[in-house]
Amino acid sequence: MIYLITALDAEAKPLCDHYRLKRDSSLPYTLYRNDEMTLLIGGIGKANTMMALSALLGWRIPETGDILINIGICGAPSEYTIGEALLIHQLFEGERRYYPDILYPHTLREVSLVCIDSPQSIVRDYPVDMESSAIFQAASRFFKLHQMAFIKIVSDHFTPESVTKEGAMDLVRSHVNTLDELIRNLQSIQVDASLFTSQERQEINAFKEHFTKSQGDALEDALNYFRLKNPEQSLKIDHEIPHSKRERSQLLETLIHTLTA
Amino acid sequence: MIRAKFSDSQVIVIEHYKEVFNRSAQSFAAQSSAKKLILARKEGKFLHEGSQYSDGFDIRQFFYASSVMGCLYDCDYCYLQGLYPSANTVLFVNLEDAFEQLAPYLGEDTLVATSYDTDTMAIESLTHQTKSWLGFAARNEKLHLEIRTKSANIKALKNNTPNDRVTLAWTLSPQEIIDRYEHATPSLEKRLSAVREAIALGWKVRLCIDPVIYTENFDILYPKLIDRIFDLIDSGSIEHLTLGSFRMSQSHLRSLKKLRRSDVAFFPYTVKDEMATYPETIESYILETLLAKAAQYLPQERIRTWQRQS
Repeated sequence: MIYLITALDAEAKPLCDHYRLKRDSSLPYTLYRNDEMTLLIGGIGKANTMMALSALLGWRIPETGDILINIGICGAPSEYTIGEALLIHQLFEGERRYYPDILYPHTLREVSLVCIDSPQSIVRDYPVDMESSAIFQAASRFFKLHQMAFIKIVSDHFTPESVTKEGAMDLVRSHVNTLDELIRNLQSIQVDASLFTSQERQEINAFKEHFTKSQGDALEDALNYFRLKNPEQSLKIDHEIPHSKRERSQLLETLIHTLTA
Repeated sequence: MIRAKFSDSQVIVIEHYKEVFNRSAQSFAAQSSAKKLILARKEGKFLHEGSQYSDGFDIRQFFYASSVMGCLYDCDYCYLQGLYPSANTVLFVNLEDAFEQLAPYLGEDTLVATSYDTDTMAIESLTHQTKSWLGFAARNEKLHLEIRTKSANIKALKNNTPNDRVTLAWTLSPQEIIDRYEHATPSLEKRLSAVREAIALGWKVRLCIDPVIYTENFDILYPKLIDRIFDLIDSGSIEHLTLGSFRMSQSHLRSLKKLRRSDVAFFPYTVKDEMATYPETIESYILETLLAKAAQYLPQERIRTWQRQS
């Protein structure tokens, strides 16, 4: 699943159009979805964002291989061109710093971003937004650091009053291809941690129920050993379970021995 | 100087290496294919007492130096995966502080393993740490160094006078084991070529077949390795051959299992006193097989083995 999170309706609209997302009213927050993607409009500011994202991720707990992208507009010093997309490698929130892992090659400019509490008219050294650090904090409970990315499009040079709804929509719309590429890059580095198919997993779990916890752990180790050593070989766990405890232990011992031979 | 070598790289200024290296929610497996370099000043101790998993070669004062955290190489059996939360490398740039901390001990023979938590030779062209250690050892007559490596880069040795208190210890494995478990490391032939060159330059060399990974064709691969080594290298020119089967602390092994990267983590080891080793029958078989083979080339006293103290 691809989780996208924006602050504003205007940032979300071009994404809903591009990815053909449909409104989902399962949560008391604005959500749009299709089979591969969930878009959350978290609202403006850290508190709104953190509550909305926590609710979403608690409801649909991410799995290995899922990714999260925060996309939105930001204010930035004048050295950044209006409309430029920036990939964030460091987030400041007061004295705190957060670092998403960027493990893929890309062509975007990488920058630090300051997460602030209110729209900013004072010129700062770094681009600023109002949600990123809260997204990082909430998301890092559910995602590994290489599963998330923060992309910000420069909307103004610390003149927030100049940003219009249409302007924000245009800026995001102009970068849907950039987002497509970022999604591909992020997905390309995800490590598949599941060694077994869902069918195999079901069989393993059912089989393990006949054994103690420590016997089950030993079997799990042996199965991992077998699969990592023989990734192409199929696995069949459909042994008949003996009634006596002693015979069950013998069966397990033989099975572990076979798997690790 | 180091940053100049990465002129195209993205630089992020951080306050302390721990804020990046020790982050929670890192994926060691994902980072392994895109390692980052963290430059930092080390605060506190560079030197740590040698561990029970290593050979101190009968020198009472045995330390290992931690001047780099993480390794360029990516070996499936490496305990660093269990020790560190990150696959990134931290390079401490204040090595002179390690020398200062070592100075009070140098009234008597002291062994320092410089390449214990990393492979310093592998990143020598970047750090020049081996060169600095060799210079320091040349000035301190009680200091013995062990520089363990899998590297084929011996440039640092070429520019220094050989010192008989410095032992270069090459870890060697069958090529099939290198291909399978020692990712991003030089081939066996390149390592052997570096060994030959180091010996020709006059350096003391120890060879380590350690850790031995027990596989279904162990008794073909490892004896063949020993034959290959001594086809190319005069057995009289090496100090020792060290043999040791895979072992790891139980806590590091648990971390390795969580990564689910390699079958090495999941072998049904025997755990005793918090240390995981091959079951005694396998461990004995490994050592007996390799000792018998090595004895064809070396006298017993020049073969060292690591074996659990029961």
